[in-house]
This record gives sequence, structure tokens and C-alpha cells, in this order.
Amino acid sequence: MKAIQRTSQHYLLKQLPKATALLSKDGTLVDASDSWLDIFGLPLKSGLAINIHSLMEDTDDLADQLKKNAPFSIRHKIEKSRDIHWLESNFNPWFDEKENIIGTIVQTDDISKEVEMEMELKKVNKMLKTKSEVAKVGCWEFNVETEELYWCDETKKIHQVPESYQPNVTDAINFYKQGFSRNKISMLFHKILNDGQSYNQRLMIVTKKGEEKWVNAAGKAIMEDDKITRLFGTFQDIHEQVLAEAKIKENEQLLTTLIDNLPLNIFVKDLDSKKILVNQAECDYLGKSREELIGKDDFDLYDKEVAKISRDEDLEVIKTLKPILGKETISIKKDGQTTNFLTSKIPLFDLDGKVNGLIGISMDISPIKKKEDQLRNLINITSIQNKKLINFAHIVSHNLRSHSANFSMLLEFLKSEDQEEEKNKILKMLTRASDNLLETLENLNEVVDINTRVNLKKEPIVLHDAISKVLHNLSAFMEKNHVTIQNHVDKEQQIWSVPAYLDSIILNLVTNAIKYRSPDRKPVITINAKQIEQRTILSIADNGLGIDLERHGDKIFGMYKTFHNRKDAKGIGLYIIKNQIEAMGGSITVNSEVDKGSTFNVYFNEKSE
Amino acid sequence: MKKVNSIFIVDDDPITVFGIKKMLKPVVVCDDVKIFQNGKEAYDVLKEKKENGGSIPDVIFLDINMPIMDGWDFLEELIKLEIQERIIINMITSSIDPLDYKKWNEFKPRCPHTLNFKNKPIFKIETSDLECMDMAS
Repeated sequence: MKAIQRTSQHYLLKQLPKATALLSKDGTLVDASDSWLDIFGLPLKSGLAINIHSLMEDTDDLADQLKKNAPFSIRHKIEKSRDIHWLESNFNPWFDEKENIIGTIVQTDDISKEVEMEMELKKVNKMLKTKSEVAKVGCWEFNVETEELYWCDETKKIHQVPESYQPNVTDAINFYKQGFSRNKISMLFHKILNDGQSYNQRLMIVTKKGEEKWVNAAGKAIMEDDKITRLFGTFQDIHEQVLAEAKIKENEQLLTTLIDNLPLNIFVKDLDSKKILVNQAECDYLGKSREELIGKDDFDLYDKEVAKISRDEDLEVIKTLKPILGKETISIKKDGQTTNFLTSKIPLFDLDGKVNGLIGISMDISPIKKKEDQLRNLINITSIQNKKLINFAHIVSHNLRSHSANFSMLLEFLKSEDQEEEKNKILKMLTRASDNLLETLENLNEVVDINTRVNLKKEPIVLHDAISKVLHNLSAFMEKNHVTIQNHVDKEQQIWSVPAYLDSIILNLVTNAIKYRSPDRKPVITINAKQIEQRTILSIADNGLGIDLERHGDKIFGMYKTFHNRKDAKGIGLYIIKNQIEAMGGSITVNSEVDKGSTFNVYFNEKSE
Repeated sequence: MKKVNSIFIVDDDPITVFGIKKMLKPVVVCDDVKIFQNGKEAYDVLKEKKENGGSIPDVIFLDINMPIMDGWDFLEELIKLEIQERIIINMITSSIDPLDYKKWNEFKPRCPHTLNFKNKPIFKIETSDLECMDMAS
């Protein structure tokens, strides 16, 4: 009977779905379900003389626990087909009918999956914590129902409160700086709580230690069954970023203010010479907005030739990496406006030290250039006048010297002369020298007079009438020499001139034409006047002796230069009229051929007053 | 008193010509003193004498500033004539222009004749002005 009972009991145990085993008091396996044996990798028909201690070697206090005859559970592991399995075994005392302890009932579960998941969770939590520490991102959670607020360690750290700190909503809001930040967070919290509206806002808090800090606060509502049950959010310390951003903005502001207010055109170009930055002065100069200029190259903005030169300079700078400094350039805009610049082009390197464009700085030097031109012009005029003055000083000294030398010589003769007749002869010579000196002085005076008269009053004069008047005065002289005059000047033609100078010019040129007539021909004088642009040219041509210009060309208008052997040739007339013409802003030229005749052309400057 | 065959005075100023003639009188005997108003006149005569074997002057008094052909142009042409006889040329000028003095210095080595430079006023003509210095020394 006992055997049958045992067998039925054994069979029942064998089939239990929960892995179960029975141990005798000394820990020897009495019986076990198939599932229990399977967990431990034991053969189903194995003899039951196995002690539990050999199956759970990694549990030290198993024996002690068993002696207590009280329920307990342990976690242990076995190696089965090279895998580690985590097991959990519950031990309960085994009673017989008379409530005597006869052994222990063991129930075992394979909890490998749970342990794995637990470990994974631990890992994730640790990662999350590290991450939040490194990124200075904390989190918070609010339970709507219980009104409990949870802060993670990092959030607490940002607030500079101890880890034991227990936050509540009122305190949390009060951490925000009074004013904008606190008002804003109150409103945002109200909205998320009522409407579930998420937020992400940069605000300022005052920490427990009284430090002001920029933070980024974000929140999101979590819904369950259409009801907001929890709020979850992040809390990030962005104080350093904000300060850095502010610093960058400040620097940017400084730089922008600086380059926009420099009285220089500043631009940055990329490797294709396209503008990537321009300052206000450059915009003003080109008359375009910043947006219009960015991305444009010189061919879009300047005259083609100028753009080509500029592009070549850019390429040179980019190629050689040598800056162009303070180069004088001329810039011509599309509308033809020309500006002189002092330009520098400096290669621009990226953070890796590779050239990625250039910085250009141009200073408008047009006004300086204009001044320079004016100055150069003035120097030219001054130097011409200076030359004239030196020339005149030479003339004066030479002519006066020659007279004074004659005086000295004659006086020396007179001193040592005994003969009365010879004395008279010397005195006659002295008188002559004196007359010559006077005449020279008169001539010089006339020249000085022309050159020093500042306000020459030009008047409109009918040229034909002026010529007729001079010819009338010369009529006796002309008749005597059988001169034919051909006056082709238009009767209406007017010129602007100083009347006395015009008379002198015509008189001198006509007189010369008669004086230096050819003995072989009847003198013919042809007078013409032409208008070329703003200038009137008066030509007086003769068929007289002519002058060897190759030989005397440079001297013909010089003072006291004579070219023909005539007693009345003084070498003063042409010199004086040249001075008169130049004083009126005009000029005089001559064409001549020996034994053919001469033509004098007088250019009257109509424009200058 | 020194005897000279022929003297040319080339000057357009009658007072200077008068002076030179007067100063010559006490130092030299010369029956042939010719006056020319400018370089061209003197050159034409010299050229004619060279070609036809006339007597070349021993001394020339030469002004610098003259019409038609000035003293320098005359010197240039004279050198080109390649006259074998040595002439003593006294350049007489009231010019104190350093350029004229410089020009004289340039001409001196090129000119086979003796070239003297005298600034006006002159009060006396020395016998040495009428002799070839190279030959005397």
C-alpha cells in the first residue's frame, strides 16, 4: 500500500508544471518534477541520490538557511550548455500528516530573462545619468494627481540644492528670476497643465546660492485616457553658452560698427572674387544695398577693363598669398564714374590655414588726387613763370651789362684822351650809348608792364575793323613799298581781346611782313581768320624773305633776336606780341620758308576771361 | 710795335667796334682791319679767301650775340672750313652767362685755332691777345 501511495505521489509530482523538488532533511533529493530536472539539466531517470548543495555551489549560506526550517528564496546560477542561467529557488518546509517536518519543498524558476532585463535597465539608467551630467541636462516630472514634483540629481545640481531637497511647484517657480522669467514660466506651467501645450524656453533662474543662471526649460504633458496625468520635462544649464553667444554678438556688433563706420570701403571676396561681405561705405559707393552686392563679382559692378584688372589682382593674391598693400587703382563704375583708390588686398585664411578668399580695403583718394593734380598744375605754371623770369633776368642783365660795359670803356678812353677831336668822337659815342640804354629800358619796361598787368580787360572786337584801322595808319608806309593787302577776314567776325594788344599784334606782324619783304617780289600780305572750336586763329602771311626755322626756330620770338641785316631790326617786336598773346591766354606759331615767305598764326583764347 | 697782316672784327655793336679799333692802335700796326656786322658776313669772306687763296686773318675779334649767325655758329662753320693757318680768336662778350663760358670750354679742344674768352668791358688789348700762345711758349 505504501509503495502504491508513493508511486502515485511520485507520478503527481513528476507532472507538476512548476518546477518542484522534494528534499530530505539532509538536503538529498527525494523526488522532483521533470521540469525541475530539466532546469538543472539532470536526466529524467536519474537516481535521486543527489544533494542540493552540489547543485547550488555558489550559495554559501544554503545549509544554514535550511536548518532554520523557515521559507526563504535564493538567487543562484548554473552553467547549462555553456550558457549562464539565472535561477530563483523558493524553499518551504515539507510537513507530513502530523505536521512534522520531514524535508524541504523547492520550487525553482529560470529568471535569466528578468535578470538580463534588470541589468539592461541599470545600464540605461547609468547612461542616462552620465548623459545628463555631461550635457548638464536635468529632468523633472510632475504628477498631476498627487501634485508631487520630482527633480533628478542634475536638476538639483543646477539649482544648487542638496540631493535631499524635495521640490514643490511653488518653490520651483520661485527659483525663476523675478520679472520676465518668473512671469513667463508661470504662464507656461499654467498652459501645459490646462491645455497640454508643450514649451521650450530660455529663462533665467536665481540658484539657492544666489547665482543668476541662464537655463533652457522644457515641458511636455503626458496623457492617459485623454487626461493629463503627468508632466515631464528637461532642464538645462545654458549659462555658459548664453554668455558665449552674448560675447560673440558683442564682438560681432563691435566689428560691424567698426567696419561700417570706417571711412574706407571694405569687402571680403571668395575664391571666385564674389563678394561675401561689404561694409556701409562700399554699399554707399556702389549705390546698392548689402543684399544686392553679396554674391556679385567685379564684372557685375564695374567697367569691363577695370574688372579684369581687379580679378587679375585677386588671382595673384590668392595664388602667391602675398598681400597687395596701398596700391593706387582707378575704379570705373558701370555708369562711368571714375574714382581713385588706394587699395589693399589681403589673403583670407580659414581655420585650417587654407586660403578661402581675400579681404579688400579701398580708400577713396580722388579728392587728394585732384588736389595733387591742381598742385602739379600750379607747379607747372609756376615753373613756366619762373623760367620766363630767369630768361627775362638774363635779358635784362645781358642788355644792361653790354651798355654799362660800353660806358666804362668809353669813359676810360675819355680819361686818357688828349686830342680834342678824338674826345668829341668819344662823347658822341657816349651819347649814342646813353640813347641805346634808354631805349632798352623802355623796351624792358613794356615787357614788364605786359607781364605784371593782372586784370586784363578783354572786349569783343570786330576783327575786320581792327585790321582796317591798323592798315589805315600804315597806309603811307605801305604805299611807299607797293604793298598789296588781301584781307579775307569776315566783316562780322568778333573776337575777345585787349584792344591795345590786338592793335599791337596786327601792327607788328604787318610791319614785319613789309620790313622783311623780298627785293625780288612785290609784297603781298594775306590776312585770314578761322574759327576752330572755341578758338579764333588769325593768320598773317607774306611772300617776303622768310626765316630759316631749322636754324632760328627756337629763337624767333626771343628778345633782341634778329635774323636779317636791317638797321631797324631791334628784335623786340615779336617778343612783345608773344608776351601780349600769352598774357591773354593765347599762343603764336610761325611757318616759314626762306625766300618764299612767312605765315604767323595767332590763336586767341576765347574762353578765358 | 707788332705788325699784323689782317684783323677781322665781327660785332654788330658800333661802339664796341669803335673801342676795339681804338685799343688796337697803340699795340699793333695793321693795314687790313675788316668789320663785319654778323658771323655770316665774316664766314662768307673767309670761305671765299680759303677757296681762292686769299690772305687768312691773323686775329679775329668775335662777338657772341649777333643776328643771322652768332659767334658760336660762326665758330662751328670756321672749324668745318679746315683752314691750315692758325688764327687767334678773341671772343668778346658782355655775357656773364655761365653757359657761354661752358660752351667756350667745350669749343677750345675742338678748335685748332687759339680761342680766348674776354668779358666786356675791356679797356686795353695786350700784345699777347694778338699772338699764338702755343707758339710763344
